[in-house]
Amino acid sequence: MIRGRSLSPSWILLGGAVLLGLLDRPLGLGLVDPMRGVLVFALLGLGLNVVTGFTGLLHLGMAAFMAIGAYAFAIGTCDIYPFQLGFWPAMVLTVVVGAVAGFLLGAPTLGLRGDYLAIVTLGFGEIVQDVMKNMDAITKGTQGINPLPPPVLPGVGELGSEEGPWYWLFLGLLVLAVMACRNLERSRTGRAWLAVREDELAASCMGIAPIPAKMYAFATGAALAAMAGGLWASLYASTGEPGNYDFQVSILALCIVIVGGMGSIDGVLVGSLAMIGVANIALPKLAAWLQARGVVDPSNVLGSPNNWKYLVFGVVLMVMMRVRPEGLLPARLGRVGGGR
Amino acid sequence: MKNRTLPLLASLALASVALAQTGTLKIVSSLPRTGSANAQTTSMVNGIKMAIDEVGGQIDGMKIEYEDMDDASPQRGNWDPAVEAQNANRAVRDESVIGYIGTYNSGASKISMPILNKAGLVMISPGNTYPGLTKPGMGEANEPRIYRPSGKINYFRVVPTDDLQGRVAAEWAKELGCTSVYLLDDRELYGKGIADVFEKRAKELGLRVLGREGIDPKASNYKALANKIKASGADLVYYGGTTQTNAGQIAKDLRSAGVTSKYMVPDGCFEEAFILAAGAENLEGRTFITFGGLPANQLQGRGAKFREAYIARYRVEPEAYALYGYEAGRVLLDAVKRAKAKTREGVLEAVRSTRDFEGALGTWSFDENGDTTSRIMSGQSVEGGKFKFVKVLGQ
Amino acid sequence: MHAIAHLATLTPLAVAAALQAEPATAEAASGVLGQQIVTGLSNGMIIALIAIGYTMVYGIIELINFAHGDLCTLGAFFALMLVGALGMEAWSGVAGMAGVVLLLAGAAAFCALFNWSIDRVVYRPLRSAPKLTLLVSAIGCSFVLVNLALFWGGLPMEVFGGGVAAAAPKDFPAMVPDSSLLPDAWDSWVSAEAFLRSSPSWNDPSVWWLTWAPRVALAVLVKSRELNFTTSDLLVWCVTLPLMVALTGLVRCTRLGKAMRAVAQNPTAASLMGIDVDRVIGAAFLIGGALGGFASVIYALYNNTISFQMGYRTGMDAFTAAVLGGIGSMPGAVVGGLLIGVARAISDGYIEARWTNSVVFAILIATLVFRPSGLLGAKLRDKV
Repeated sequence: MIRGRSLSPSWILLGGAVLLGLLDRPLGLGLVDPMRGVLVFALLGLGLNVVTGFTGLLHLGMAAFMAIGAYAFAIGTCDIYPFQLGFWPAMVLTVVVGAVAGFLLGAPTLGLRGDYLAIVTLGFGEIVQDVMKNMDAITKGTQGINPLPPPVLPGVGELGSEEGPWYWLFLGLLVLAVMACRNLERSRTGRAWLAVREDELAASCMGIAPIPAKMYAFATGAALAAMAGGLWASLYASTGEPGNYDFQVSILALCIVIVGGMGSIDGVLVGSLAMIGVANIALPKLAAWLQARGVVDPSNVLGSPNNWKYLVFGVVLMVMMRVRPEGLLPARLGRVGGGR
Repeated sequence: MKNRTLPLLASLALASVALAQTGTLKIVSSLPRTGSANAQTTSMVNGIKMAIDEVGGQIDGMKIEYEDMDDASPQRGNWDPAVEAQNANRAVRDESVIGYIGTYNSGASKISMPILNKAGLVMISPGNTYPGLTKPGMGEANEPRIYRPSGKINYFRVVPTDDLQGRVAAEWAKELGCTSVYLLDDRELYGKGIADVFEKRAKELGLRVLGREGIDPKASNYKALANKIKASGADLVYYGGTTQTNAGQIAKDLRSAGVTSKYMVPDGCFEEAFILAAGAENLEGRTFITFGGLPANQLQGRGAKFREAYIARYRVEPEAYALYGYEAGRVLLDAVKRAKAKTREGVLEAVRSTRDFEGALGTWSFDENGDTTSRIMSGQSVEGGKFKFVKVLGQ
Repeated sequence: MHAIAHLATLTPLAVAAALQAEPATAEAASGVLGQQIVTGLSNGMIIALIAIGYTMVYGIIELINFAHGDLCTLGAFFALMLVGALGMEAWSGVAGMAGVVLLLAGAAAFCALFNWSIDRVVYRPLRSAPKLTLLVSAIGCSFVLVNLALFWGGLPMEVFGGGVAAAAPKDFPAMVPDSSLLPDAWDSWVSAEAFLRSSPSWNDPSVWWLTWAPRVALAVLVKSRELNFTTSDLLVWCVTLPLMVALTGLVRCTRLGKAMRAVAQNPTAASLMGIDVDRVIGAAFLIGGALGGFASVIYALYNNTISFQMGYRTGMDAFTAAVLGGIGSMPGAVVGGLLIGVARAISDGYIEARWTNSVVFAILIATLVFRPSGLLGAKLRDKV
């Protein structure tokens, strides 16, 4: 649609999301509620896609930026702190803090290659989590910061327990983020990212400075992840425990990007739907369905559908990768990531 | 597939017709079923099922349905705020749900309490012990107000809170003749909270606190920490944590490092699995466990009957968690029975007015905050590879 | 032999620390340093053994094998099953030692075959796929293995504590007694000292260099009398060190090792030279899995607890160790593992346990900033 391209899967998916939002209530699907989580993780995935997908840097600490975003948003808004900004100023602050954090992590480490960078980001994630847990005075430690005030939308007012407005807000922000990513991808910077990903040496010979390009990617990715964190915290009116932003979340973000298709914005959307959809929507529904049919044998560890979730989730990941090694909706521009 | 699902669907259709005639009331529980808490929550679910079977699965001709929801997700391996919120929302949307049993983790209740509160759905927790959820002045300044947006109380719990248990634990430590203590916690809401209370009370009682450490509950061992504790020469090691946050491993490493001090843990470790994980010989005669209630084999009346029935059904001694699950289920069903209108409001009102309830844990009521008035705490030790009731605490 | 050389540089460190430790002064602080280093080294060796599994697979197919830690979990459950099935808890003395050997062999064979099958079924079809596709498959595989371990823990067997508490940590019988070895050793050294003192060269300053080594040895033993060096520490050291030597020998001196290095350098060229690349990769998984199996038994005998999620932290530590040492480098994995083990112990002992993970990762980040290819990693060149 944008710039005269044919209708891309992103817009079909987002259109589907709009349709779902409209039909959910009349059809009694009850899907809008869990879909909000999918939207937040799509944002996180977009952030990681900039770093890993566009620029080719394996990043295993995205959850840290989500955490930084959630805590920045919480400290900016919660009434136990002096700032008490509204939703929108706090969200701006969150994004800025995220970008700065990304920049700070990137500056000393972006000279590292491949998997060395990956483990540095992993370590950063663990350190951030420890800081959140241990610095009780600022972060409230395991208590988490709550309550966070709900967003206020012009014409709607404060968002309450009604799920619809939240959904539309998140969807709107996601659409904005998708548009921003698309434009970035085609901008000078975006082309520099892709060039660095495909061949750093060649890119630098062509006059692209790899380190600033990577730094910019890190900051952009971190800003998007922080935004996801801020929205996440505002949705549950709480940052939750620091453990909610652990390595598993980073891994989930990575799965979203790769299952969707590296470097593909369409892929991120479909990837988050697939991953969160399987784990948080389909599996609970399946377990509930099996229980309702009485397929539960409590005397046996195999008898409870809930005990099978890891296995199903893992098999889904493996099968998806086997069937679509390039991801569900791979990027159209060139081959991504390359074999060897 | 086809020939299997068809009869299934047919019987389902029949069943739903039958239900429509008499009406169905649904109870859900939301507990972490995927991941490391599975062992504890399995006991709880067993207890809840016993409570439902005891009333024959129906009350006043209305069928009682039960759904065991999981508030953990496989990618987290632990309770997941998104899933807990989803469970709460799903329960709210399903009009036949009249009671929500959960959660196991106090952190999860922080998420779902406001959701259920707005909907006026009664919530009974068999596991939350964080005081701030119900008691003003015990947690953050704005707690528990923030969990009750409607201003009414819909959250109840059948377990005594950490502020009581941590306190009696410190008093018991003093009684046992300890003069110095080394405190550990698992840096989680429950473990850290109870260790904080213990520390405060211990200092008041004049026990010397030689150290305080937050541990990594996923570490493979704590031998280095045990060396440090040994050098500190403390009489007692108190660990605010649970079996799943490695209380057993700590016991082992203390012993293998040659620490001879006593070892005290809260009710998060009051389960067979703790002894199995730690190895009986590492606990023998030196381990002390506090518990909010009486152990099953000390119970009279209702509790003793529960124990017999539980053993007959599951062939194991009921754990503390099973008792809590059973008690939560029973108090809810009792309220349903008493409620004139079998609606959410009716049931909520009936739960709120629970007084002198003849439960498995004794006779108790819900107080104005929604807490159980049961204040009985017991102390256990480990002897011959089994928990041994030592005494009633805090009397 | 590199691994040994690096060990040799670390061991005097421990010795020096033990020598300096003055238990009488500043009670806790310095007295346990030697002990902490012993503990750290034992933990580090287990980490190193697992790290080798990561680094071998990485060196050859550039896959961070996320499932490796969980494979070790399965190995430990297999060992526990063997213990239960054969009633090994009751074995003692020579039978007990034979039991340990049997467990090591059994778990190693099990893990090797399992790892090889995982490669065959999951990874091999993806050889030509993008690198990260493999990574996600490995993550998926790790979830499946965790679930299998959960089921295994729930088997209604006496040794698992029945089927109720599948997720609960399981006690692994202490087949190796946790008794301290050093006081006994010291007693026999008292007579050795008397013997030495009676020799004329002991008191002759002109030949001090002859007696230097025994003097240090004796001083160390005096200090180590306070150390708690147990049979299980000894077991860890006795199993891991020979394995590391054997492995280094295998990679350096055998045809298979040569083929592995060739495939790691350039798989296409290697296959053109007549090397069966798939077989070599399979062998890497087989060997890495076997090491994981050994590590799992050592882990179980050293910690005496296993749980279905134990692979998570161990795996992460091992992966960190592999990268710290220079991923793809086997001596690097060993050095990295030992460093992390010791760093964890020192941090637990002298900083605060709650910061231990941060300390480890801070060391890692600092190291990589200054040595971008890890401690012993080869300088990476762009493949242009």
